[in-house]
Amino acid sequence: MNKTFLVALQEYRQHVFNRRFLLGLMSVPLVVVLMVGLILLIVSMQNNTTPLGYVDHAGFLSDPLPAPAPEPPDKPVPMVPYANESQADSALRTGQIQAYYVVPEDYLSAGKLSVVYFTAVKAPARIQFYDFLTANLLRDTDPAIAERLVEGSEVTVQSADGKRSVSTGDWFIVIFPMIVALGFIIAMFSTGGYLMQAVVDEKENRTMEVIITSVSPDQFMAGKIIGDIAVGLTQIVVWGLFIAIGVLVGRDSLDFLRGVQVSSQTILLIVVIIFPSFVMVAALMATIGATVTEAREGQQMTGLLGMPIWIPYMLMYTLMNNPNSPIAILLSMIPLTAPLTILVRDGVTLLPAWQIALSAAVQILAAIGSIWLAGRAFRLGMLRYGKRLKWHEIFARQGVKS
Amino acid sequence: MPAIELSHITKSFGAVKAVDDVSFSVEKGALFGLLGPNGAGKTTSIRVMLDIFKPDSGSVAVLGGPMTEAKKNVIGYMPEERGLYQDIPLDRCLTYLGSLKGLGAAEVKERAAAYLERFDLAAHKHKKVKELSKGMQQKAQVIATLLHKPELLIVDEPFSGLDPVNTQMIKDLLREQRQAGVTVVLCSHQMHLVEELCDRIVLIDHGKVVLYGALEEVQKRFSGNAVLVRSDRPLPPLPGVERVEAHNSALKLHLAPDTKPQEILRALVAKDIPLEQFEIAIPTLDEIFIRVVQGKGAGNE
Repeated sequence: MNKTFLVALQEYRQHVFNRRFLLGLMSVPLVVVLMVGLILLIVSMQNNTTPLGYVDHAGFLSDPLPAPAPEPPDKPVPMVPYANESQADSALRTGQIQAYYVVPEDYLSAGKLSVVYFTAVKAPARIQFYDFLTANLLRDTDPAIAERLVEGSEVTVQSADGKRSVSTGDWFIVIFPMIVALGFIIAMFSTGGYLMQAVVDEKENRTMEVIITSVSPDQFMAGKIIGDIAVGLTQIVVWGLFIAIGVLVGRDSLDFLRGVQVSSQTILLIVVIIFPSFVMVAALMATIGATVTEAREGQQMTGLLGMPIWIPYMLMYTLMNNPNSPIAILLSMIPLTAPLTILVRDGVTLLPAWQIALSAAVQILAAIGSIWLAGRAFRLGMLRYGKRLKWHEIFARQGVKS
Repeated sequence: MPAIELSHITKSFGAVKAVDDVSFSVEKGALFGLLGPNGAGKTTSIRVMLDIFKPDSGSVAVLGGPMTEAKKNVIGYMPEERGLYQDIPLDRCLTYLGSLKGLGAAEVKERAAAYLERFDLAAHKHKKVKELSKGMQQKAQVIATLLHKPELLIVDEPFSGLDPVNTQMIKDLLREQRQAGVTVVLCSHQMHLVEELCDRIVLIDHGKVVLYGALEEVQKRFSGNAVLVRSDRPLPPLPGVERVEAHNSALKLHLAPDTKPQEILRALVAKDIPLEQFEIAIPTLDEIFIRVVQGKGAGNE
């Protein structure tokens, strides 16, 4: 069996069949499930289906049309008429209704109404009452016009070439690429962390000398990188599956999930920009592992590497409002800042092909350069026990021989 | 064709010349001792042999030519800095290291099981390596070195940390390997063990070869003009003896340059001295090592 593959397999097994990894793997979907559960709980707590009362002094609700059906997950709230405030008040006090609205005689001219409650009326019930009111105010209007007025407009922004369009109702689709980018960045750093740890472990275990008399340093490093990237991809695939299941399950009850899909452009960006960045981060982490003497020292340096990746996150407002500004374009090209920037922009603008091509070229070159750097640092640092490899030594010509 | 041939090897690290014009060869099937004080350049020489380091100058031939990836599968190396994966079970560690030497999964398991049994480690094979004692880890390292039945075995300080029983086991194992035709390079500070096991030696000091050849020849070269005599009676003054000193339970008689040991024996017999021991005083490897390293040079050279 190919030795690179054997090293990769060992690396993969070492991390994946490990309690800590499985906990980490499940923690993200668990947090997502918890968050969705919490949202649904809050929604259901807002869903008070106790009837709403009303006293109509204006007279247009004497023979009312029923309230339009609410949008899921909201549940319908019955509307109960009362002849006067004292009847409505006693119903409120006995808990038959959660609140009652008083529509004054001059409502049509003044547009004012009052509400009486012990506990404030939550948004779902309040909206249903307003829709009920609007539907009845428009009862003599053309039904199509009435429906349009009740439902409002959905503005769709379309690119000039007609290839891309974003609707105000599809807000989740806008942030979806960003969620994908964040998932990749988390996986990128955990993978890189494993790789750095793997190289430090080889030094700490003193296994390096035994190993490189069995495999070449290049085979060994390649095996480690492949194994750890496979670990990262396992994370992404599992998380992706959870997200897909969540979307499939949630799209029936959560409107914002309905249009969610991964576009071919997002897939292209993942392949040509995110994946090379993934390799680059992994290789840079391996380089750090080869230069340091213990894991703790490596973790401090990893923090420095992580900072540029989060710059686009800090500039999120600017990027989303001005996705084609010079800073946005620049950050799309720079290694480390490119993954998050380009996927955020992908959600809100049409990316020109030249920008994708240039960014991909930069990321691929940076990945190749990082692998070269990792290989060199590994060759020089592999037998340095208890002594740090200095960065200038990696670039020095003299180091090539040993 | 020698199994290993180092020719005029030089290797420097910055301003420090770790190995300076080192040449020696190891014949196939030999048990060869690589000796030297700490920091002499032994480990660098081994690393150059194994292509871990490229020499600055000189050439290396291992098993008939330059090191290749294929040759790594027939070389067993046990470095002085022992290295096993601490966080995985012993059997998995051995399986992995064996597979990197080209063994199939079934083969490596079968061989590991046999060695674990022989080294009394079978009951501990599911334990993590870090849970094993130092001696057990040492034996596990030996197993990892031998699993793939190497043609060339390079062992650096294989006896350190072992009790007498396990030391004997490793000695037997090295002899067994030689009998099986394996070329063994033994790097050790324990001179009596090298003396017991090796056919030929090279002694490196300050990066240079200071002694090289068949062990017997080297000892003869350093024997000087002295005899060991043991008797239950005090020895009378003898012609041609310059100095007498105690040597364990015997006496070491240092002879004048032109005096031959036979003349001393004749004189003792003539004086009717009962002899329990009479032999040419051959220095131990320990003594030779100290003399060479401390710069006293070869006795009669």
